[in-house]
Amino acid sequence: MIDAATSALDIAARVRGGKIRARDVVAGALERIAQRDAALNAFTSVLRERALSDAETLDRRLAAGQDPGPLAGVPFAAKNLFDIAGLSTLAGSKINADNPPAVRDATAVARLRAAGAVLIGALNMDEYAYGFSTENTHYGPTRNPHDPSRMAGGSSGGSASAVAGGLVPLGLGTDTNGSIRVPAALCGTFGLKPTFGRVSRSGVVPLAWSFDHVGPFARHVADLAAAFDAIAGPDPLDPVCSTRPAVRCTEQLGRGVQGLRIALLGGHFTRLAADEVLAAVGRVASALNATREVTLPEVHRARAAAQVITACEAGAYHLDRLRSRARDFDPMTRDRLLAATLVPAAAYVSAQRFRAWFRTRAAEIFRDTNVVLAPTVPWTAPTIGAPWTTRIGATEVLTRGHLGAFTQPLSFIGLPVLSVPIVAPGALPVGVQLIAAPFNEAALFRVAAWLEAEGVVRSPVA
Amino acid sequence: MSDPSPRQVTEADVERLGSDVGLTIAPESRAAVAQHLTALLAAARLIDEFPIPDAEPAPHFEP
Repeated sequence: MIDAATSALDIAARVRGGKIRARDVVAGALERIAQRDAALNAFTSVLRERALSDAETLDRRLAAGQDPGPLAGVPFAAKNLFDIAGLSTLAGSKINADNPPAVRDATAVARLRAAGAVLIGALNMDEYAYGFSTENTHYGPTRNPHDPSRMAGGSSGGSASAVAGGLVPLGLGTDTNGSIRVPAALCGTFGLKPTFGRVSRSGVVPLAWSFDHVGPFARHVADLAAAFDAIAGPDPLDPVCSTRPAVRCTEQLGRGVQGLRIALLGGHFTRLAADEVLAAVGRVASALNATREVTLPEVHRARAAAQVITACEAGAYHLDRLRSRARDFDPMTRDRLLAATLVPAAAYVSAQRFRAWFRTRAAEIFRDTNVVLAPTVPWTAPTIGAPWTTRIGATEVLTRGHLGAFTQPLSFIGLPVLSVPIVAPGALPVGVQLIAAPFNEAALFRVAAWLEAEGVVRSPVA
Repeated sequence: MSDPSPRQVTEADVERLGSDVGLTIAPESRAAVAQHLTALLAAARLIDEFPIPDAEPAPHFEP
């Protein structure tokens, strides 16, 4: 029987083995969405007829002896900044609803479909991906399946909520400053931000070109690897997509952690975080016997540089819309984007120069270390509509902005990061970042698979 | 970034800077925009204060 907890690869195996029809799998997912999404508000579009039609086509191909791919019949959904043929690409905005429908799917969507997965719908997000909470004024807040009074995180909040709630086994999101890892941690799913340039961003509305990334969400490490393997690799349609061949990660999952040098990221990554978050990192480190601490210098400046670059690139991208339709922006993003257009050019160039320097410092860590550990988020999911600031110890921080304190300095330099979920009984989820050198996603998957097999991390349906 | 002391951006600054880039920033937005710009300039100052050795900006362009 297929239910909300069935893994993507279990579904594919049963569909490929003729045990169940893809149409029935998709109908089941549509039924779960019908029952639960009114409470979660993860979806902004459900492609019922298209999904059923795609599943029927897949069933016919199977019956004709064709191979429909490794993700045959697996329902998935994509953050609504991915182009989906026939839909206007909202990117969480009201303004983009006036755009003509996309004429083709984004590369990542097309690649998952080519692997046999069935697109079920488009998912809610912060407007133009400029936020960490998915408290979208136009389309309503997406809710956390572990506690619907709380944020799902953002900006890929719909992706995390839909996967955590068991509506779909796979989701697609994007991450510029933490927008895959933050919601994955708050909702208790696995989330991968691959190396910058590893997965094509073609057909994706940008936030900041310098560090926009595409990646998957899943509740099982093997599912995450299968999705990553399907979408990774060169794409001439994305000018920053790497031409180096992708290393398949599915084959890495059973290799264990023997021989990997794993360390804890100290300094900035141990401060201004709740005790339960630091305890979760400690549990993962203990399981991996990781006792050595490494540090990155000037992390607070790295975070500042990430903020400046994001603001300047986003401000430039949206300048025309801010001139002509400022009132149609979400109040949660409009004033920040307006401010972003006013930053001096020298600040942007200095931030990019700092980025090159900081990248070199990170590379020094990975000369003798394969994977480093750090918290994903500083605390569990805040309540929807929480006050703008939160006190942690003697320090007052921005409730939403601080959610990216531990993710921003890493995506800023394009490192691959896999957030693993820690879901204790009766507690809200938190996440731990597994971080590697560029293009070494394989090491991340080895560690994540081992932690899952040992029961240290898990992502139950909420 | 040459100003050596931190400064609070004013609503008048926002109106003037906005007009320089063709933006008409609504009066009800100016206080919030000033606050956000102050924060961004503080972030820029953090970078400015750090003596970056000879580093070129990260992006490269292949013709």
